[in-house]
Amino acid sequence: MSSLDSSFGVRRAATPQAPAAAKRVRRPISDPPHRIGTRAHVALSWIAPVLLIAVWEWLARIGWVEPQVLPAPSKVVATAWKLTLYGTLLRDLGTSLLRAAAGFAIGGGIGFALGTLVGFSRLAEALVDRSVQMIRAIPFLALLPLVIVWFGVGEGQKIFLVSLGVAFPVYINTTLGIRQVDPKLLELGRVRGLSTALLIRRIVLPGALPSILTGVRYALATAWLALVVAETIGAQAGLGFLAMDAREFLRTDVIVLTIVIYALIGVLADSMARLLERRLLAWHPNYGAAR
Amino acid sequence: MSTLTISDAGPAVTVTGLRRAYGRRVVIDALDLRIERGEFVALLGESGCGKTTLLRALAGLDPIQGGRIDAPGKPAVVFQEPRLLPWDSLWRNVSLGLPERGAREAAAAALAEVGLGNRLDDWPRNLSGGQAQRVALARALVQEPELLLLDEPFAALDALTRIRMHGLVKELVARHRPGVLLVTHDVEEAIRLADRILVMRDGVIAAEHLPETTADPQRFRALLLAELGVQGSAAA
Repeated sequence: MSSLDSSFGVRRAATPQAPAAAKRVRRPISDPPHRIGTRAHVALSWIAPVLLIAVWEWLARIGWVEPQVLPAPSKVVATAWKLTLYGTLLRDLGTSLLRAAAGFAIGGGIGFALGTLVGFSRLAEALVDRSVQMIRAIPFLALLPLVIVWFGVGEGQKIFLVSLGVAFPVYINTTLGIRQVDPKLLELGRVRGLSTALLIRRIVLPGALPSILTGVRYALATAWLALVVAETIGAQAGLGFLAMDAREFLRTDVIVLTIVIYALIGVLADSMARLLERRLLAWHPNYGAAR
Repeated sequence: MSTLTISDAGPAVTVTGLRRAYGRRVVIDALDLRIERGEFVALLGESGCGKTTLLRALAGLDPIQGGRIDAPGKPAVVFQEPRLLPWDSLWRNVSLGLPERGAREAAAAALAEVGLGNRLDDWPRNLSGGQAQRVALARALVQEPELLLLDEPFAALDALTRIRMHGLVKELVARHRPGVLLVTHDVEEAIRLADRILVMRDGVIAAEHLPETTADPQRFRALLLAELGVQGSAAA
């Protein structure tokens, strides 16, 4: 996330502006004065992480840190390359992504459908909402033992757990978004004689979209967390399996690799959600770039 | 915009014995009103006298508890706020509810009429208050309504913008010739725009005036203000 923000910073600093002249010339408010250039700031912010990895590499090379405890970063990169060549890494990554996608689709679909229903109908709210809120009070990972009893340790268990984690944030934010749609705009829709279907498509859903997308972003993080937990227990394939299998042989390089991949995909998913927000909410003063 | 084919003959709306109540509190009782096509009627009244309630009933937004409202077509409404959909471009806003085919062309023509013909794909957030209200006006006129309901549409605008809007509305109404009901508490506005002025008090129409026929504008203004409960004619 921070790397995303700072990359924008680079772009802004790249607009030609002579530093000497800038002192006298009045500049737009959107460009705050800064003592160090934005480019320098980005460079500075990278010093600490790069140094940390260098120190880690050095400590591993001189044998101060045992490879079984923490392998050198270079070793992790080499392992990544090797596993990619064997094809196992991509296969396991694909398996994990497929599980996440399936769970996200099912959980998101259920959350969105229920949320829409409850958002529109007081009756549906009375019937559904209390139960949902009660189930939501359970930390969903606490259900894992029960889920294993129900589904065993197959694909069902993993997809179920991901769906569970995804359904709640999507449900809550969809309901909230629909409730927050400006009643004056709904009234306008009625004056224009819009059918219920058109009213939903033209006014309710666009109005609820910022909130729904917030739910989706939150759900992406939850889905990923649920997958890590589900895969760590009794998987035959996938990133979690890769890590647990490596544990048997004390292959810490593989374990660290899976951790890094989990992190990378988390960041990727989040920036994809942000991109979606910028695209779909281009009209919104808080999101879209001005046209 | 071939409104000229519609003849001015016949009423845009006829209201007989209208009754409107919130629970046991009666706001409007036994109200009769008739607005002809092409006629501009202003409805003056203090806050809470029932004028907006009447407009909402005519717009079909609220149920009525008695009497009838006969209108040949679907009325168009301009509210005090522009009520533009922030997620739709201006032309999509204007064509809201129109059939998809030819919607953009119709919206373009309507926006051109209010002087925003070059802003079809712009977002509502880039508009000033007066421009936004012009879009709302275009959105109402694109329906080619036989009855146009204006609910204090200029109240939130600054004085200069309001004067410009008066001119624009007058021009547009003269061209499209719908029956107009303008709800306002601004006496000057009513005199400037209306063919007929109604003063509403306690849920009934208490007085009716034709500004064209008044010989002394000064006294007419004072009379209207007095009917609205403002004594001493501060407006000079």
